[in-house]
Amino acid sequence: MSISRRSFLVGAFATTVYASLWSIDKSQAKISAGSKKEDKEILMKMVRTLYPHDRFPSGPYDRTTEDVIKKGNSSPDNAVMLQEGIDKLKADGFDKLNFEKSTEYLENMGRTKFFEHVRGTSTVTLYNDKEVWELLGYEGYSSDKGGYINRGFNDLDWLPEPRIEEHPDLAAFLSESPKRYAEIKNMIAKELN
Amino acid sequence: MKKIDQKESAVVVIGSGAGGGTMVYELTKAGIPCVCLEAGPFLKPEDYTNDEWGAFGQMAWLDKRTTSGNWRVAKDFPGLPTWLVKAVGGTTTHWAGATPRFLEYEFKTKSTYGDIKGASLMDWPISLKDMEPYYTKAENAIGSTHRGGRAALPANNNYKVFANGAKNVGYKFYATGPYGTNAEPYDGRPGSIQDGFNFQGDKNGSKWSTAKREIPRALDTGLLDLRTHAHVIKITHDKEGNADGVLYMDKDNNLQKQAAKVVIVSGNSIESPRLLMLSESSMYPDGLANSSGQVGRNYMRHMTGSMYARFEKPVNFYRGETMAGFCADEVKHNPNRGFAGGYYMETLALGPAFMGAFLEPGGWGREFTNMMDGYQNLAGMWLVGEDMPQSNNRITLSKTEKDQYGLPVPNVHFDDHPNDVAMREYAYEKAEALYKSVGAVQTWRTPPYPSTHNLGTNRMSAKAKDGVVDKWGRSHDIKNLFVADGSVMTTGAAANPTLTITALAIRTGEYLASELKKNNI
Repeated sequence: MSISRRSFLVGAFATTVYASLWSIDKSQAKISAGSKKEDKEILMKMVRTLYPHDRFPSGPYDRTTEDVIKKGNSSPDNAVMLQEGIDKLKADGFDKLNFEKSTEYLENMGRTKFFEHVRGTSTVTLYNDKEVWELLGYEGYSSDKGGYINRGFNDLDWLPEPRIEEHPDLAAFLSESPKRYAEIKNMIAKELN
Repeated sequence: MKKIDQKESAVVVIGSGAGGGTMVYELTKAGIPCVCLEAGPFLKPEDYTNDEWGAFGQMAWLDKRTTSGNWRVAKDFPGLPTWLVKAVGGTTTHWAGATPRFLEYEFKTKSTYGDIKGASLMDWPISLKDMEPYYTKAENAIGSTHRGGRAALPANNNYKVFANGAKNVGYKFYATGPYGTNAEPYDGRPGSIQDGFNFQGDKNGSKWSTAKREIPRALDTGLLDLRTHAHVIKITHDKEGNADGVLYMDKDNNLQKQAAKVVIVSGNSIESPRLLMLSESSMYPDGLANSSGQVGRNYMRHMTGSMYARFEKPVNFYRGETMAGFCADEVKHNPNRGFAGGYYMETLALGPAFMGAFLEPGGWGREFTNMMDGYQNLAGMWLVGEDMPQSNNRITLSKTEKDQYGLPVPNVHFDDHPNDVAMREYAYEKAEALYKSVGAVQTWRTPPYPSTHNLGTNRMSAKAKDGVVDKWGRSHDIKNLFVADGSVMTTGAAANPTLTITALAIRTGEYLASELKKNNI
């Protein structure tokens, strides 16, 4: 996939998002930055702090972190950015901070290229993870199962069954001139006051 | 399929969505052969996938674009101002399905709202009365529920929350439509199986799209030469200044030329004005049909925003028809609310993949994950209302960025008008009240997505100096050049635009067919 497709979103929705959607040329993505065990661990802590879900096991976070590392090695520039970001986390003792302190640390980090790379990749990869879908109770592909017409599209039972037809006054309401409509509204408001 | 010689001066339609797809059907049905040039592939139901990112990568228009202006989309999605489809059927592949008509005064906003500072309001040269027969035809083509005796869709879970909330806060005008997906079999398409996938293309074929209805029927007439992967880059003209051909890139990146006797531009509100500007020449230095200087101006994208709400009990809002919930109580113009125009509330659901990306672009942290963690308990709605046309909200050709063919990319400039901001704020408050009335424990004001409603950049006007096309969609300057898509809209109304684009295209198609038969063109 060409660079232009991957790079059409920058800023909050990071460039790297697109690397996670369309596979990059893996032959050129020789993993080097973030290859040490402690590098991956500290990055995974960052991913968990950004998107904390107490009930998620480590699997989705592990796969997301792998992806952050993979996309972070998509070019020499990115690899440098990733390794520098990891080294800074280590130098600042990020691995020793509790959840509150690590959240505070990330809040103060600012929207650096490294931060946006990790955050942008994580938000796409984590919530596109099939195990996460299951954990969140999302059923995914449904057409091959006949949709939800017999599988709960209307199974909510904690509210009354609502009307599905239009209100008989709708046509009159829509065709009433706005001037007249405003007059009526004003009359009602005055009556109520 | 019919083959039309590239040297034969043909009726050429550029694009195959709600505008172009409808045009080719109207023309071929009337016995007029057409060439349709579509930039994307012909995706069939079996190609569609129930996977949000997968489908996005498969069909979204991802050619390079740039943005500017104070709208939040320019910050969150600077390279993706719109969310449109590049495939046969255009954005009808992806559209949700809401089919409200414009209201009578929404064709006359200048007269109704008066002067609004910074807004380039103008009355349309046509009225609701002119449009009514075409609205009926378009509703029958689309199969709009609640219209023409067609059944309403049943209440899905998201609608149950929405409708109960609406009732609690005193709204009356809620229903499961009008909606462009069959509740029961109609017109050769089956009833909905409530599979929950809409923006990804409907594998079941219950939803109307021109890829499902108009294009196959036009092909059946034996008069349509449909060329896919044909990306038009220039419209050429003769010495008299009339359009005489189009240049396009084929799928192997070879330049092709098709001679033309009539050209209909249906490329959506970004690509249509871009193509007219790219077609500049010594005779037309500012681009085709642009003597007014209005090509590309008055870009509108509707006031939008979403409200998601988390409840204590499960909703499972992803099951069922995505937008089959509709409330019209706030649509009437009522300046007492602090803004002109009005808006609709419509149910909306996203899967976790898109929710993660769009709930709060750039968002992270515990509050964010609380919403995501409560995914099963979420309900959601989209707020969509009229935005103010502004002369400087416009599509221009980039001076620096080039596309895959080396041509200037379109820049989409948009500044929110104070009216848009006031309406969005009001709409969020009302939506919050609606969900709180049914027990919401957390609500979220989601900012606008990349624009799905793109309107107004070749506006229709009575006088040539005020706009680009006349009341038939024919360019004021060039008699054999037409525009049939959302770009002709003089103002945008609150209504989701597909029904109106389709109705206008039927009207333009009938007119063009009759003019061609009378040899007036």
